[in-house]
Amino acid sequence: MAAIDTSLAPPTTDANLRRRRLATHLGIFLALMLTWETAARLGWTNPLFMPQPSQILNSFWVIFVGTGNVWRHLYVTLTEVFAGFIAGSVLGVGLAIIVGLNPLVRRFLQPYVIVLEATPRIAVAPLIIAALGFGFQSKIAIVMLVCFFAPFVNTLAGMLSVNRDGIELFRSIGASKWQTFRKLMLPEALPTVMAGLRLAMASALSGALVAEFISANEGMMVLIDRYTGSLNMPSAFASLLTLTALGFLIFKGMELLDEFIVFWRHESRLAAASRKRARAWEAAR
Amino acid sequence: MQATTWQTQTQAAETVISGREVGKSFGGGSVVALEGASFDVPGGSFVSLVGPSGCGKSTLLRLIAGLIERSSGHLNVHGRPVTGPHTDVGLMFQRATLLEWRTAVENVLLPVEVLRKPTRADRERAVELLRLVGLRDFVFAFPSQLSGGMQQRVALARLLMTGADILLLDEPFGALDEFTRERLNLELMRIVAEVKATTLFVTHNIGEAIFLADQVMVMTPRPGRLARIVDVPFARPRQPELQLTPEFNALVAEVRGILGTH
Repeated sequence: MAAIDTSLAPPTTDANLRRRRLATHLGIFLALMLTWETAARLGWTNPLFMPQPSQILNSFWVIFVGTGNVWRHLYVTLTEVFAGFIAGSVLGVGLAIIVGLNPLVRRFLQPYVIVLEATPRIAVAPLIIAALGFGFQSKIAIVMLVCFFAPFVNTLAGMLSVNRDGIELFRSIGASKWQTFRKLMLPEALPTVMAGLRLAMASALSGALVAEFISANEGMMVLIDRYTGSLNMPSAFASLLTLTALGFLIFKGMELLDEFIVFWRHESRLAAASRKRARAWEAAR
Repeated sequence: MQATTWQTQTQAAETVISGREVGKSFGGGSVVALEGASFDVPGGSFVSLVGPSGCGKSTLLRLIAGLIERSSGHLNVHGRPVTGPHTDVGLMFQRATLLEWRTAVENVLLPVEVLRKPTRADRERAVELLRLVGLRDFVFAFPSQLSGGMQQRVALARLLMTGADILLLDEPFGALDEFTRERLNLELMRIVAEVKATTLFVTHNIGEAIFLADQVMVMTPRPGRLARIVDVPFARPRQPELQLTPEFNALVAEVRGILGTH
């Protein structure tokens, strides 16, 4: 049971059923592509806006292998995404822990957090570029800003929602404040923190692309912009689909990370985790 | 200090917990949660605290545990005044309050872990306690893999792991179904007798309170008050059939009468 359930499909238990469904999906997809291809070849669609699937496929070859154009831009965008995400979430989680542990700080900081949270982050982007210039730092700063709030708000919420019985239990067994934080509050907040990190990561890519759109001379958004400007639509589509794949990989990666870190919220992981703990216990004897 | 005179008296009578006019109010005295309660709990005895919501029974338990500070009166545990949380007592709540990311045995080990690095003997003791509460086959299960009743068994094992000789149980089986609760009550009696602990058991079920206890503290609400302490004379070990006898029901009627007249 994840904090945020983002899966759209109902769970399937039967492997056979799953295989049949996959075949159906593949069939429909191929039929769709075939119709598209045929329509384009017969001149029913405007090739300027709707390139044929075969052309897009060809462009994939060109931009990844032929000219290899995409790699540099992909590298730039990915660097912005990950650097911004790490900076933003470390700051968000760290600040939330400090604020969560200090009621006084919390009280004075709260109005500012509310005001900042109500401000659309993307609207701040031009100001950041004005302050930091057109270079790399401003892109990372924008992604960082986009990635800050979800982890901050979620970590704070997670830390403040620790139940009273848990706190009383730790007090009664003579646990120190630090032990209570490390052994109770932090792990208990982890599922919510992870949900915040997943939200942040989901918006990091968009943040980087918007930053590039405003002003940049490198990055995936620049690449798409250039291809579209020169009416090279197949390559623009291939670049877009590359971003789709990237977005999917990021999502899946975060999902795996979530299953690994907050394994106790994933029923499918419990049996294996239990066996692992049993082995570790025996080994320590 | 005024308390010294009765301190020596109570020690002679082997009293483990003793309260004199213990009171607790919140909001600068505007809300009285507990009005001057006086009582002595003999070592090794099982005492039930029974009464409706708001009678101060949970408040009294938390006062004894040192989790909240009393507003008035004297309260001693093992002859020492309660000034804050102390490890002479162990607590158990209606919710098992287990750490979800730890296996059953790692949860049981927690009270030792916060005090020192667990030794091999500690680890063996934790497994042994899980056996005592009937969870021999669930040592490495995570809480979410256990039923509500089993989770409370883990909580009980963790409570025993503290080594505290006073067990404070706040409606420990209140969230469980009737059958599970009855079975766990029977096991609880067996286990506390085995470890020779002094037990305070909060409940709002009169029958349960009498069946388990040597003494029943009957409490009434608004303001929370200790109305009377009723002795339960039945011999141990007790069987569930005891609850069908006229003597038992007479006692239930007596407690119900005390609660009804207030």
